[in-house]
Amino acid sequence: MQISSHIGSQLVDLCSALLLLTCFAIVAQRRLSACVDLFALQSAFLVLTAALVAFLTGNHHIYIAAGLTCLIKVIIIPRVLKKVIERLNVKRELVMNVNVPAGLLICGGLVMLAFFITQPILPLGFLLTRDSLAIAFAIVLIGFFTMIARQKAVSQLVGFLVMENGLFLGATAATYGMPLIVELGVFFDVLIAVLIAGIYTNRLQDAFDSVDTSHLTGLKE
Amino acid sequence: MQNLFLLLFAGYIGGLLLPLCFPTKPAVQNILAHGSAGLASGAGILLGVTGLFAPEPWTASVQSTIPFLSFAVRLDSLASLFVLTISLVGLVASIYAIGYVTEFYGRASIAALGALFNGFLLSMTLVVIADNGFFFLIVWELMSLLSYFLVVTEYEKAEVRYAGFFYLVMTHVGTAFIILAFLIFFQAGGSFSFEAFRHPEQPLPEGIRTLVFLMALIGFGTKAGIVPLHVWLPYAHPSAPSHISALMSGVMIKTAIYALVRVYFDFLGGQFPWWWGFIVLVIGAVSALLGVMYALMEHDLKSLLAYHSVENIGIILLGIGAGMIFQTYGLTEFAALGLLAGLYHTINHAMFKALLFLGAGSLLYATHTRNMEEYGGLLRRMPWTGAFFLIGAVSISALPPTNGFVSEWLIFQSLFLSFHLPTVLLKFMLPLAAAALALTSVLALACFAKAFGISFLALPRSSHARLAEEVPITMRIAMGLLAVVCVLLGLAPMVVVPMLDRVVTPFAGQSIEGKVLALDGWALAPVNMEFSSLSTPVLALLLVALSMLGLGLVAAFGGLVKQRYYKTWGCGINLTPRMEYTATGFVQPIKRVFGAIYQPTVKLETELLEESRYFAKRRHFEFHIEPVFQKYLYDPVVACFIGMAERLRVIQGGSLHLYLAYIFVTLIVLLLFAV
Repeated sequence: MQISSHIGSQLVDLCSALLLLTCFAIVAQRRLSACVDLFALQSAFLVLTAALVAFLTGNHHIYIAAGLTCLIKVIIIPRVLKKVIERLNVKRELVMNVNVPAGLLICGGLVMLAFFITQPILPLGFLLTRDSLAIAFAIVLIGFFTMIARQKAVSQLVGFLVMENGLFLGATAATYGMPLIVELGVFFDVLIAVLIAGIYTNRLQDAFDSVDTSHLTGLKE
Repeated sequence: MQNLFLLLFAGYIGGLLLPLCFPTKPAVQNILAHGSAGLASGAGILLGVTGLFAPEPWTASVQSTIPFLSFAVRLDSLASLFVLTISLVGLVASIYAIGYVTEFYGRASIAALGALFNGFLLSMTLVVIADNGFFFLIVWELMSLLSYFLVVTEYEKAEVRYAGFFYLVMTHVGTAFIILAFLIFFQAGGSFSFEAFRHPEQPLPEGIRTLVFLMALIGFGTKAGIVPLHVWLPYAHPSAPSHISALMSGVMIKTAIYALVRVYFDFLGGQFPWWWGFIVLVIGAVSALLGVMYALMEHDLKSLLAYHSVENIGIILLGIGAGMIFQTYGLTEFAALGLLAGLYHTINHAMFKALLFLGAGSLLYATHTRNMEEYGGLLRRMPWTGAFFLIGAVSISALPPTNGFVSEWLIFQSLFLSFHLPTVLLKFMLPLAAAALALTSVLALACFAKAFGISFLALPRSSHARLAEEVPITMRIAMGLLAVVCVLLGLAPMVVVPMLDRVVTPFAGQSIEGKVLALDGWALAPVNMEFSSLSTPVLALLLVALSMLGLGLVAAFGGLVKQRYYKTWGCGINLTPRMEYTATGFVQPIKRVFGAIYQPTVKLETELLEESRYFAKRRHFEFHIEPVFQKYLYDPVVACFIGMAERLRVIQGGSLHLYLAYIFVTLIVLLLFAV
């Protein structure tokens, strides 16, 4: 029992770490379609983590959440985003607010910050997923950072989705998942947010011939 | 009563949903929505009458899963009176709407208009019977929002959108104060049920009670339209479709009167220091005077009527304020009289103001303009509308024997009874309020002499008026019904007073039916016969007899005089519309007398003939009155907010990334603090 739980905990940690790794890959990646692929990969790792937690703890409702994640974040959303990229013909992020090396350094700092912040909380936890909390936190911060650093609306959207993944991991890690109804609501929200952002990106393209959100500065007046 | 209530509920909900099932047939939507509303308000009338005479209040409630919220209703005599009023005006407005909304076919969605109309009526009915503070606030807010959407029916016009926005802001400021007042009650009683408001566990301290008084006065006063919170009325009421204006001006603002009576006399138990009543009285007098003065200067017929609502709310508050003052000094008989007079005027105003707004709607329907300068000569073209409008005008000007006269007379009586009060200040102030009321009545008469005369008499001043035709039968029936009600309410105080007496008895602690009615109900004699008495049936008989006498004299001796037919006041010249009094011209004397209040600006440009400077080619005349409240009260507040916003704009880079960075940095800083 002791050993299996130990191994389980290690496995969950491994999956979480893979999630974090894909985050760094997204930050470093300039090609938009690759970013979307990496997001899909990250979501797949998330599904794996959730399924693992469900298996280890016997909380079957997490399976449903994992299945929905698989459907929405691994299949539907990447497909929608790819369509948007195709239509808009934007392949690369050329100008960034923060360049890639500096961005990676900052993200490293954010991971340290996340671990530093969760330090006092972790020993209080007794769940086998407790170490994932720090990682989840780091993912949220990195997702947020991506939204700030990138200028194209599509990559900001990816940043938003990464944040969402982090939140999902955090919820699973901290409490073995939120109540199913809440999770369903969150999925619905994310789906709608992506649809709206997709439309918004298209409108942006129509208005400015570009999906560079810094053009929106002109709307100030 | 339960069945009646369910019928009412089902009727309004049916009227709300059914029209949506026929998306392409406006005529079907029209009939379904307004027919259903008419049925429901018919049930409402019965509900009101049975509730008024029921020995015990009818209650019902549905518990909800939200804490502190229960959908509780309680139909006591006060609520019944307002249900009756709302339903009566609702019924008439439904009948009227069947003809009136044909105007909107193809311009607005009839299904949406009908659904909002039903929802609005239902929410108003629920406001007056709600028995839970939370529930009350929900339906109150619903009422405000639905009326907002009704106001912006013609949203493609910029001024309508402005009016709607103005209304929305004002009503929400008011609601904020109401919420605060209710939260104070909640603090004391630990529950949102009105029963707990009435009997809190520990009595509220004096300071807190004063706070509740002021909050309720500001909150409900905004909805009622007391000066200086009245500024939204002349924008919002004219912008709505006319049957909605009738509902808003006739009954919606009365829900605020209901709530004030409920809070002051019911929740606060009718125990107040003298200055509360005094404040209400002063606000009433100021609202009445300023309302009618601004109405006089208005040439948009519906804005004019909206200002008259301010005036009449003032008159109602005079009665209620007098009642509160008497209550303070334990003169319960007089308190009951003041309250009764105020409520009597509330019903009367609902009836004649609805009638007048429907009349204004008919003029709008026939001429497509609200500007009185473009009317004229309409009596010949629209005799029915003219006759009904005249009855409404007579009522609102408080001429005997109509209903406005009876209730204003009762308010006068209760103000004159002030010599029974112990303090010298009040002994002087109440008669002053009576003087203000007298001035108000006179000005109202002048205003309606203008409104009726300029609109209906003389020759048409525009092609709109020349081509006007009488309105459809449903609209005439609706106006006719209200005209009959107006006359009946005036002629039959012996029926109305006992009903109102049932309402005020629980609050004043004493029934005054026997003291107000004399001679088996054929006369009103508040307190004692020697002091003053009034019998409207006798007055009416006298009026009829005198006019018969006049006609008889003409018939008897008229044959002796040679008869000639020619144009009145023509003096041999052919009359043209340009010789008529205009609405602006009519009120010039009053504008001059009250110049200090109006602060008018007059601009006259004359273009002279080149050959001789004694002949003018063209004259251009402009005249504005200063919107004092907007300029000195509202504009500074708005400017202050905009100034603050300007200063805050420093942090607005306009860049999405900057905003995200703000959030990010805040998050990190807070997290570091948390560790």
